[in-house]
Amino acid sequence: MRDNTLKYLLVLPAVVVVFATAIWPLAEAFRLSFTVGRLNRPGSLDQYLGWENYAWAFFEEPAFWNSVWVTALYTVLTVALTTILALGLALLLAPGGRLRSGAQTLLILPFAMSPALIGVSFRFMFNPEFGLFDAFFGTVFPPLANVSWLADPTLAFAVVVMADVWGWIPFLTLVLIGGLASVPRDTIEAAQVDGASGWRVFRDVTLPQLGPVLAVVVILKSIFSLKTFDQVYMLTNGGPGTATQTLSHYIYFNGMKYGQIGYSASVAWLMVIPMIFLTYAYAKFVFRKG
Amino acid sequence: MTGKQKKRLWGALHTALILFAIFVMLVPIAWIFLAAFKSHVDVYQLKLFFTPTLENFATVFDDPYRLGEKLVNSTVVALVTVLIAIPIATLAAYSFSRFHLRGETVMLVIILATQFVPAVVIILPFFVMFRDVGLLDTRLGLILVNLAIVMPFAIWMIKGFVDGIPMETEEAAMVDGSSRVQVIRNIVLPMAAPGLLTAGIFCFIIAWNEFLFALILTNKDAVTLPIGLALFKGEEGDLWNLLSAAGIIIMAPMFVLALLIRKYFVQGMTMGAVR
Repeated sequence: MRDNTLKYLLVLPAVVVVFATAIWPLAEAFRLSFTVGRLNRPGSLDQYLGWENYAWAFFEEPAFWNSVWVTALYTVLTVALTTILALGLALLLAPGGRLRSGAQTLLILPFAMSPALIGVSFRFMFNPEFGLFDAFFGTVFPPLANVSWLADPTLAFAVVVMADVWGWIPFLTLVLIGGLASVPRDTIEAAQVDGASGWRVFRDVTLPQLGPVLAVVVILKSIFSLKTFDQVYMLTNGGPGTATQTLSHYIYFNGMKYGQIGYSASVAWLMVIPMIFLTYAYAKFVFRKG
Repeated sequence: MTGKQKKRLWGALHTALILFAIFVMLVPIAWIFLAAFKSHVDVYQLKLFFTPTLENFATVFDDPYRLGEKLVNSTVVALVTVLIAIPIATLAAYSFSRFHLRGETVMLVIILATQFVPAVVIILPFFVMFRDVGLLDTRLGLILVNLAIVMPFAIWMIKGFVDGIPMETEEAAMVDGSSRVQVIRNIVLPMAAPGLLTAGIFCFIIAWNEFLFALILTNKDAVTLPIGLALFKGEEGDLWNLLSAAGIIIMAPMFVLALLIRKYFVQGMTMGAVR
């Protein structure tokens, strides 16, 4: 067979799979977003009502805006905290040696943990009666001694953020250690010979060199933060009330619990829009190298 | 303070910070490991010393929890997902790596982009369709949707490995009269084998930990381990000793697998944006 035919045949199965499992559902969700779309009413999946679902989300549903706000705040906080802490940890661990490479190996573990299980474990840790973190925070900061973390809207949100930061620091640290390894050593040494302080070297040499890797980290983490579902479901199930209800959770609830497939598809598509921008930005970095 | 003393102090501070970081990272995991061996009395106390028991592991496999069934489901679903995804991804990755295809960049970007589509968007149409064709609560249904999250990783990761195989050997074999298909089978596949295994393990971990699809699509027969965790929410609240035992069964195998491929974890996850 000629290479010219073969090269397309080779990608064909993959294209079919990606089309069937990702492109089709996206298009079908788009179509559903314009329908009445009730799970319990046969025929309503083909009953069109224009932009009404979108209008409903925008103008009639405070719960939608609540989940937008929760997701936005959650994304900003988790991206900022994970990136800063991971950068600090990466700088600590990058030099290598026994202790440091041992630590790097251990960093794999939290990331191999199912996010749902992370949710469970943090619910355990913050149990008001026998939670380890609950006891710790109560001892270090007495006003927190007798609080019921997951029953308080602000504290529950804080716990959800903590669980996410805990789960993602290790992976982002490993990415940043990889980035640090590519910062040329002689540039750093030259700066040190010139008498630059550690902070100056970091600010003027390391940080600019690390720029692209940091950008990748921030984009990737933003995407995953926007999508967050598993931990939230296991940790607070969106509660108390709707204090920790992210967009994914809101869509899940409306679609699966209330059977409003059409409406939840419209919200789902609103969620795709920021993803498109982030993916575009991410793709630029991927192809810059290749 | 002399420069030497200052340096030593810094070193000690760094070591302390690293130990603290390791501690924070491991405590939630270690706590689950401890709780899994505690009796249902000890687990509701902040005890570090207790008489360990294996009872919890027996209980979770017994009626009414039957975690064994979920373990089988998880294993079958993740394994079959990988066994379908890796061969398909390998062929595509080879083609993307070695040839210039019309629309190649567009295809690669779309494949990359599908990874970022929220799972909750993908699952809505699949739920409706599976309901109509009777694939709800089946392993097959779960495998099909899992391909959506695994394929992009697999293609990008394997393409990275194939890119790293020098083309000269292939060209020499072709000059000697081998066909392209023979070259792929006899030269590329053996050389890429470790990479394929790595990608397979990576995808297995992702499929194993997958939560949202299984939550929506399964309720009894095809329930996987992460969804099985919900079983241990009793009338009187969470059964923490059982939850922990189930937690170990979910995470321990993944820890082993992740350690096996730790060198490629970053590359896989970032799809080559960071090397």
